[in-house]
Amino acid sequence: MNTALQWRRHLLDQLARGLGLCATALGLLLLVWILWVTLSRGASALGPRLFTQITAHAEQGGLANAIVGSLIMNLLALAMCAPVGVAAGAYLSEYADRTRLGTVLRFVNDILLSAPSIVLGLFVYVVVVLPMSRLSGGSVSFSGLAGAIALALIGLPVIVRSTDEMLRLLPSTLREATLALGIPQWKLVVHVLLRAASSGIATGVLLALARLAGETAPLLFSAFGNNFMSIDPLDKMASLPVTIYQYTNAPDPRLHTIAWAGALLITLAVLALSLLTRLIVHRHAIRHD
Amino acid sequence: MIEPTCTSTQPWWLRAVNGTALPSHPKLAVRGLDFHYGDSRVLKNIELDIAQNTVTAIIGPSGCGKSTLLRVFNRIYAIYPGLKASGQVLLDGENILDPGYSLNRLRSKVGMVFQKPVPFPMSIFDNIAYGIGHHERLGKADLADRVEEALRRAALWDEVKDKLKRSALGLSGGQQQRLCIARSIALRPEVLLLDEPTSALDPIATSRIEQLIDELKRDYTILIVTHNMQQAARVSDRTAFLYLGELVEVDATEKIFTQPGRKQTEDYITGRFG
Repeated sequence: MNTALQWRRHLLDQLARGLGLCATALGLLLLVWILWVTLSRGASALGPRLFTQITAHAEQGGLANAIVGSLIMNLLALAMCAPVGVAAGAYLSEYADRTRLGTVLRFVNDILLSAPSIVLGLFVYVVVVLPMSRLSGGSVSFSGLAGAIALALIGLPVIVRSTDEMLRLLPSTLREATLALGIPQWKLVVHVLLRAASSGIATGVLLALARLAGETAPLLFSAFGNNFMSIDPLDKMASLPVTIYQYTNAPDPRLHTIAWAGALLITLAVLALSLLTRLIVHRHAIRHD
Repeated sequence: MIEPTCTSTQPWWLRAVNGTALPSHPKLAVRGLDFHYGDSRVLKNIELDIAQNTVTAIIGPSGCGKSTLLRVFNRIYAIYPGLKASGQVLLDGENILDPGYSLNRLRSKVGMVFQKPVPFPMSIFDNIAYGIGHHERLGKADLADRVEEALRRAALWDEVKDKLKRSALGLSGGQQQRLCIARSIALRPEVLLLDEPTSALDPIATSRIEQLIDELKRDYTILIVTHNMQQAARVSDRTAFLYLGELVEVDATEKIFTQPGRKQTEDYITGRFG
């Protein structure tokens, strides 16, 4: 081995390492920058009034109805898409793996995963909002329920995909050992596999929730927005992202500050969800050692 | 249903007299078994008799089909598409390859322990109770008795009796493997299939399992696949040598290891190939 070759390899190694470092630094810099801007612009609007006043009195600086609306719609969406998503993921991994149907379903799910969220919003407008309006004679049109359905459509493919992948990570020996006891396939899936993959599946569900928390476009055509406090899922419902969108379009700079505070709330909520996810994965890892 | 018969051409009375023959009703009888992975034929016309309450070791180089053969006895191969067994495998005279033979029934009679211990993500107690609960409806006390019995038989009870509610994932590798054996024998099977049960274990855990095999022989018919020739010699009564999907030779273990009938067998056990 000659030294010239060693030098060249050393230089290439340093170069690759330097490029990697730059890329990481750039990513982190942008993240910190976003956090800083959000924090500095919204900090002045943070305070108890943010959680007690409603957006009908915008000048009082409250987002209470938007916060409540976001919570209701996100949780309702999760309640709809998590069970279906986990069941569909389990079907793909355990029943349809290596079949043509499974391949097609995975492909379709991936399309849904990458569908623009505004398209899903319009879909819900046509399929849920308009028919409900017609059926109720116009008394119900846009609603929190429709908003939750739109969000559920976005969360569904995320959960299907993550459940499918988590189950496929399990060793085939676990399946063989269970079936070798004469236990049928459905019990294997429900009692053994879903339990063995539970932390991974919970992570997928929380990541889906984090994704839903920031969605604006699908809510515009489904939940619409509401300046008053509403917890009725059949009424128009306010949400943080839509309120932020409306406030940033307003001319009043005080509303801009409140919008930044709302953005900060969403960011913190997503951060908290990520930390929770980490915690679950970490605890699971310890239990396995 | 065809009655199982011995492969030997001797009349039954002569076999009874010279005393070396198998009992006239082997626990398991393999007749003309072929196995296909897609287009490739990995087991070729296997003929094998296994007497009750004996330990049979299946040896042979990697890829010879010994695990495949073992996996036919509980039809676990059937969970993968493209695998096909043809011929007959008679368990107490009934062909288990017959699609009409229920898997539930087969697998309650034929237990299996795998190379890598795979405890369920449940408590130690539930690991054993789960399988029992599927096959039988037992009261709480009876179930606890059955779990204890299985753990005792697998020589694990004393180590886990104070932590039955703890996760089985916290046990050591050797303990996990004995838990898996306990899980299988809790169903009171008749045949126990062991697929390289000690290859992931240290020598101490291995010798515990080997002792266990010796004790379990009294109640079960045991088939063990092993790469370890000393292990085959230590634990088994009879040894079957498989090579390239063919059953080259099956005989008393002592005979196989001291004066094998075939050149291939001798080459393998003396380490000339494999």
